[in-house]
Amino acid sequence: MKFYARRITIYLVTLWATISLNFLLPRLMPGDPAEILIAKMQRAGEVSETTIRNIRLILGSGSDVPLWEQYLGYWGRLLHGDLGISVTKYPTPVTELIANALPWTLVLVGLSTVIAFVLGIGIGAWVGWRRGTWVDHLVPGTTVLQSIPYFWLALILVAVFAVNLRWFPIFGGYDVFAFPSGPEPTLAFLSDAIYHGILPAITIVLSSVGGWLFGMRNMMVATLSEDYIITAEAKGLRPGRILRAYASRNAAIPSIAGFSITLGFVVAGSIVMEQVFTYPGVGKLMFQAVQNNDYALMQGVFLVITITVLAANFLMDLVYGFIDPRARHNA
Amino acid sequence: MPEPHTAVDEAVVDRTPADTFAAPIGITSAVPDTGRAEAEAAKRGIRRRMPKLTLKLASGLVLVVGITLFGIIAPFFTQSPTFSGNPSLQPPSADHWLGTTKLGYDVFAQLAQGTRGSLLIGIVAGSIALVLSVLFGVLAGYLGNWSDEILSLVTNIMLVIPGLPLVMVIATYVPGRSWLLVAIVLGITAWAGPAVVLRAQSRSLRAREYVAASRVAGERAHRVILVEILPNLLPLLTAQFLFAIIFAILGEAGLSYLGLGPTGSITWGTMLNDAQTGQAIGTGAWWWFVPPGLMIALLGAGLSLINFSIDEIINPKLRIAPEYTRRVRKAAREGRGVAVEGSIA
Amino acid sequence: MNRTKRSTALALAAGAAALALAFTGCAPSSDDGGSGDSSAALRVWAGSQTPITANFNPFAPTVLHAALGPIYETLFFFNKTADEAPTGLIGDSFEFNEDGTVLTVKLKDGVKWSDGEAFTADDVVFTFEYEANGYADKGLVSAEATDDTTVVLTFDSPQFTREFAILGSTWILPEHVWSQVEDFATFTDENPVGTGPYVVDSVTEASYTVVANENYREEGKPAVKKVQYIGLDANQSAQDLLSAGELDWTGMFIPNPDDVTANGIISTINTPQDPTVLYTCANAALGCVGEQTDVAVRQALNVAIDRATIKEKAFVGLTGDISPTFALLPRDEKWLADPANAISPQSPNAAEAGSILEAAGYTKGSDGFYGKDGAPIELDLISVDGWTDYNDAAKLIAEQAAEAGIKVNASTVQWQEFSDARQTGQYELIMGGVIGTSVADPYQIYNDWFDGKSTIKVGEQLLPGTWNFSRYDNPVVNDAVAAAAATNDEAAKQAAYATIQTEIVRDLPYIPLVINATQTFTNSKDYTGWPTEDDLYAFPPAWGASAAGVILANLTPAK
Repeated sequence: MKFYARRITIYLVTLWATISLNFLLPRLMPGDPAEILIAKMQRAGEVSETTIRNIRLILGSGSDVPLWEQYLGYWGRLLHGDLGISVTKYPTPVTELIANALPWTLVLVGLSTVIAFVLGIGIGAWVGWRRGTWVDHLVPGTTVLQSIPYFWLALILVAVFAVNLRWFPIFGGYDVFAFPSGPEPTLAFLSDAIYHGILPAITIVLSSVGGWLFGMRNMMVATLSEDYIITAEAKGLRPGRILRAYASRNAAIPSIAGFSITLGFVVAGSIVMEQVFTYPGVGKLMFQAVQNNDYALMQGVFLVITITVLAANFLMDLVYGFIDPRARHNA
Repeated sequence: MPEPHTAVDEAVVDRTPADTFAAPIGITSAVPDTGRAEAEAAKRGIRRRMPKLTLKLASGLVLVVGITLFGIIAPFFTQSPTFSGNPSLQPPSADHWLGTTKLGYDVFAQLAQGTRGSLLIGIVAGSIALVLSVLFGVLAGYLGNWSDEILSLVTNIMLVIPGLPLVMVIATYVPGRSWLLVAIVLGITAWAGPAVVLRAQSRSLRAREYVAASRVAGERAHRVILVEILPNLLPLLTAQFLFAIIFAILGEAGLSYLGLGPTGSITWGTMLNDAQTGQAIGTGAWWWFVPPGLMIALLGAGLSLINFSIDEIINPKLRIAPEYTRRVRKAAREGRGVAVEGSIA
Repeated sequence: MNRTKRSTALALAAGAAALALAFTGCAPSSDDGGSGDSSAALRVWAGSQTPITANFNPFAPTVLHAALGPIYETLFFFNKTADEAPTGLIGDSFEFNEDGTVLTVKLKDGVKWSDGEAFTADDVVFTFEYEANGYADKGLVSAEATDDTTVVLTFDSPQFTREFAILGSTWILPEHVWSQVEDFATFTDENPVGTGPYVVDSVTEASYTVVANENYREEGKPAVKKVQYIGLDANQSAQDLLSAGELDWTGMFIPNPDDVTANGIISTINTPQDPTVLYTCANAALGCVGEQTDVAVRQALNVAIDRATIKEKAFVGLTGDISPTFALLPRDEKWLADPANAISPQSPNAAEAGSILEAAGYTKGSDGFYGKDGAPIELDLISVDGWTDYNDAAKLIAEQAAEAGIKVNASTVQWQEFSDARQTGQYELIMGGVIGTSVADPYQIYNDWFDGKSTIKVGEQLLPGTWNFSRYDNPVVNDAVAAAAATNDEAAKQAAYATIQTEIVRDLPYIPLVINATQTFTNSKDYTGWPTEDDLYAFPPAWGASAAGVILANLTPAK
């Protein structure tokens, strides 16, 4: 129990520190959201005096409040679940924006991460099992995939499969033309949403499967030369049983730990992917927030990311402490 | 308005698996293995620690050295990468091996200069990450106690804060981003993952007899770290450094795609960004868009291939086991039977 | 050509393709039909990014495009692409008194709000008195409805030059709705009641749809019953959608318009409007620093620049040619005093630049750059990072100036730095834009950008609505601007403009470069009635306020 109490303390301290940092970071950024908005509008054409006046009125920065007072107020609101009002999407509450975006990111990036993980682990186990054969040469190939700039891959995939071949839609989380009134709980909508998710998912899977594969393969090779595997072989257990019941299971432990951390980063999401595909997720909110000096939105997104990452880490600690008792004493 | 597009998640999506890989592998398997291997290595001299020249290593080295030499030498022989006198958007030809950009810049010249820029960013960021991860990881692991708690807390916070968004915030904060600044920012956001692994490794090394012996003998901490710990972490550090380089280069490309890349210098990332904002894909100017991305992928592949070989030193089983199976199979084919099988270790 | 390019890209991705198919097993889906029949929605991208949040409050900075024009209307419509009288929307006619202080507006009869209530002069009075419009601060003495269709606005100063602001960009509000609004700043107006051709149907994160207003004053209009505005985050997506024939109307920059018009569905029109210039901090008296404060240096730079190359390379040949008078030609033809000033020099003249500098006492140093008293001219030119066309132009200008012996260092900066620099005057040269005027009259530019009262000394921030970043302050110009504002007489105005033009063409506080392209893409196969080169009845891009409503009301689905 002491182990868990200590971990929880560490998590609480980390949470406090990151939330404070979240508070501070945007305030260190230069610029005034009102000015940025005016300049953007001005670049698109004439901006009337009335508009400028109103923008300043609405977005006027309350920077004359001392920082520590802002900080206390920030915590106060946070504990009430109030993340403030977005400037970019004025006057929508940040919580609403995030709540709407979160499911898309969770499902798409989450599922793709799971698929990449399962594929990587599966192929990795197989490649590790067939160590010393031609399949070993496959492994280096996957690293090329891992090193491809993500947006570059996404843009090429869109150009080829969506624009030229027209196999996949060009943008969006669903067909906005077929469902102009938004998501609906029908089978048609669901299949459409899945269809729209395929290409983004492929880019995520392609660029992350290599890492899992490589890690699993190495663990597999190492595990297969452990004494207990040798013993199992010597006892004449069927190779299939050794592969599934002994080797894979043990070899996958570190990958599973890694997987839970990766799941934590799902919410940080794929800012690039979401931008390239106009996918309605959280990563894009983050990008817009940074672009427009939208402090409240930025903090909100950071907060959600922080909490999920910490939660995933915590979960990993629990799971790890459970499956590998050594961790409890070693951490 | 040319909208700065986006790309942030390399660091998030891509970096994470790497971090997490490194971590578990380090914690569960490499610790005992390295221990054993390194103890032997310490006896048998440095030669054991050098990777054996395999096909993987050879092709990795060829790629990395080739690209590096290209970045060092080629810029002296190309025209200026910012000479706009060429016709715009020419496909590859004898005059312009990789065609020209919208402004008439020679893509090959840009690529040569960009190679230099990207490598510099990668190496500087990688070095910063290396130094910081050693500082936070090794010190925490070796010193233990309070220092460990504090250093680990900082590491944990850095680990939890999503990397690229943080970089975005810092990058917007600083006016006039030079390549050096971008490299520094990428470096200071990339060290936390490796530090976790190093901490675990150092803790385990610290408990070894020969380290304990030198401590008991009254060696000072910095000497123990420099003489006993770091040399044993060398393969791991090298692997982490190489990974850090490719992640920095990917991170730079991501930042550039978001319009937050270095200003005033040419890198693969800025080339991709120019190509993107210049609608290279829309106009079918693949010769402008494809080469920088391909270079990144190739360099990444090269570095990973080298890392494979390093992995095989950290964890000798990776090398021995496949070789052994191969030998057994060969022997079986030659009819010598499988009598040896029982003695695999 | 294009085919080969594409197939190369295709081959390149072949490996990825195989892999992709392997684990999706997905067959190409059937295309879900194009637009065009009257039941389908017209699909518009006006520049909104996702997620879209419902906000049709015309005073909100985040107002959705459909609110301005398709839903809310102004009294009159000003076609900024042509020199023509404003046409009435819900206004019928208007008249200034002799000195321009009293404006009498006649309204159309029988106009209804989209909720069925009658539109009356009281709504107009309410609008002009409405706090958010701020007319009280702009000299409005009184607004009175003398009968149901007549409104008299009385001001304390001549309003000739504000005609557009009052009649063409004040959104008329229904009193019975807006009088209930407690705080206009936080009001999102999700079910707006307007007089325009459309009403809101639905709003989602990804798009919003407006449908025909049944109470619209013109029988049978709008013929397009449903319009869907979508949100997109990448220009590339919009371009892809256009090529695929899935988007019907947008206004965006596409360097290779032929690629999207090749499908036979999309037409394009380019209506350059906004000047692109080099801001120079020109006025040493107000604190500007640098060699560009010397008019000879600005003149030399002006002739050293190769505008043809800049147009071709940085702006892919889509920009218009600029007049140093800042009159938009041919629209503002009648305001151009001297035909010699119709266009800035298009090709560079290094020799002339040299002689201008030499005449001003500069000498060429051994390094090939001009200088005075041993100090070489060295100018820093900044442009906003990511505004690629500007960045490219700046690079070219640096090269071209070097040819003429003037050292210019081009660099890019963050938006914030650019904004601070121009607001406070702490810069030498900036690649920047001037806002084109919304009526066929360059007055607004002269007043906002060149008049001494629109500036402030270096180190202080310009006041809102003033844009004189160069700190230019020339009494001759100031007087002429004041004279032009006080009269409605064309000849008197022309005389004043002639004076202004002579001064600014010589002094070059803003060195003119090009007129920025404004491209519009329309589906002319399924819809007719778009503005065309021959019939440019409104400013065509989908994001144009007011004009968008006029265009939508004018469209008909093709048979």
